[in-house]
Amino acid sequence: MTALLELSEIRVGYPGGPDILKDLSLEVTQGRSYCVIGPNGAGKSTMLKAIAGLLPTRSGSILFEGRDIARLRTDQRLAAGVCFVPQDPSVFPEMTVHDNLIMGAFLVEDRSLVRERLERVYELFPVLTERAKQAAGTMSGGEQQQLLLGRALMIDPKILMIDEPSLGLAPMIADQIFAVIRGLGDLGVTVLMVEQSVVRGLDATDWAFVLDLGSKRFEGPSEQLFEDKRIRDLYLGKMASGDRE
Amino acid sequence: MSTLQVAIFGLMLGGVFALMASGLTLLFGVMRIVNLAHGVFILLGAYFAYFAFDWIGLDPFLSMVAVLPLMFLLGMAIYRLLFTRVEGSSRFGEMTVLLTFAIALIMEGLLGYFFTGIFRSTSPSYGTSAFILGDLFIPKGQLYGSLASFGLLILLWIFLTRTRTGTAIRATMQNRTAAQIVGVNVRWVSTISFGIGVAMAGAAGALMSYLSAFYPARHWQWIALLLSLVVLGGLGSLKGAVIAALSLSVLSAYVSDWFGPTWSPMTFYLALFLILLVRPQGLFGKASAA
Repeated sequence: MTALLELSEIRVGYPGGPDILKDLSLEVTQGRSYCVIGPNGAGKSTMLKAIAGLLPTRSGSILFEGRDIARLRTDQRLAAGVCFVPQDPSVFPEMTVHDNLIMGAFLVEDRSLVRERLERVYELFPVLTERAKQAAGTMSGGEQQQLLLGRALMIDPKILMIDEPSLGLAPMIADQIFAVIRGLGDLGVTVLMVEQSVVRGLDATDWAFVLDLGSKRFEGPSEQLFEDKRIRDLYLGKMASGDRE
Repeated sequence: MSTLQVAIFGLMLGGVFALMASGLTLLFGVMRIVNLAHGVFILLGAYFAYFAFDWIGLDPFLSMVAVLPLMFLLGMAIYRLLFTRVEGSSRFGEMTVLLTFAIALIMEGLLGYFFTGIFRSTSPSYGTSAFILGDLFIPKGQLYGSLASFGLLILLWIFLTRTRTGTAIRATMQNRTAAQIVGVNVRWVSTISFGIGVAMAGAAGALMSYLSAFYPARHWQWIALLLSLVVLGGLGSLKGAVIAALSLSVLSAYVSDWFGPTWSPMTFYLALFLILLVRPQGLFGKASAA
């Protein structure tokens, strides 16, 4: 099976800053769900931003369905099926929940398709139906997170990248969000997620990449990594400090 | 002067200020650009109207219509040529202040070189006549100018709320990253918005051509006043800028009536200080907009 997404030796950093990703390579297969874990500063969020096109790729290639998208704009990558939900609040605060969802389908021209997807999203997130007419900025963090996931589904992405879905949420709310994320696989969406809470992230996904210092250390089935000694070492700093000194 | 008469004078002036401020606040809202060159774009519109009137007798209102597409294209070209170069910079805000300051200085120099520093204004017949309603005196030129300004502001509002591009602009104003991730081409939106902002400035300039005398250095007074208006209204808020322009113009008309015209420009800055003390985000700004 060919990879849905393939990063090869990408170098990425913030404007004017050093490389944060250093020749990072990895492969994502269609239909699986992935979690990216690693200590702070490993480059997890940077990787998602680079794939989404929010940060320029300095070198290397990002193949999506065999096509190099590394030099495309964000909207062009989205049109190809690459969708990103960042960790900072990214609803349109003054628009209603309904209008936010409609914005999610900004690139979709077929009106009936938009209506169809809207119904599906409302079914998936009942709270959004209740709040349809409310300004998105006035909702709680958990509700906004659901809105972001719902809005992302409006484009019917092939791959959905989610950065820290549980950040700042109460544990119970986070559980609900993860239940939804687990369900995305059934909708045929490939999920690539960064999660600070390793247990949650591994629990919700099939496969995990472990990043440190801007490149991939290792990878494996999520359930096996629970007990992997290397992960404990990494988070306690052995592996990282060994490299840093 | 009667109280109502003073309010009318204030309102008549406020309409054109609202138009001037709309472009400035739009640029900040969409791109976080503090456009210090907004005043010289107004001047360009005024000089266009002046020479069109002088050479072929073109009415300033027709000039206003002609200026819109010309300045729109000029604005887009300037954005593409100059601003895209600093787009990714982590100091984008600071860079744009320097960049627009430079544009203002260069254009002022060029205007001075070609057109000299003499005071100019167009003199259409309605510029000096008025409607008399009982005791009230409504200067025609200012009335027409205000009506035209509101007409353009309403068109702008319809464009922003009813069209796909307008929706993309509003989305970018509310959250740039969010707009990007739902597929808005923010560079294109920025280019168009810059064009619109400059076109609005040019149109206001055509109207200003008969409302007040102008000369190349005149833009400094305009930009100072406009910045106070858009900060007061809440940077990036169109509604705020319009309300600030109207209410402060009326207020300054009263100040001028009570204390003499010397004090009326003070009104804008004094109101700015007082309101920022109470509401640092401005009247309609969001507390954590930036």
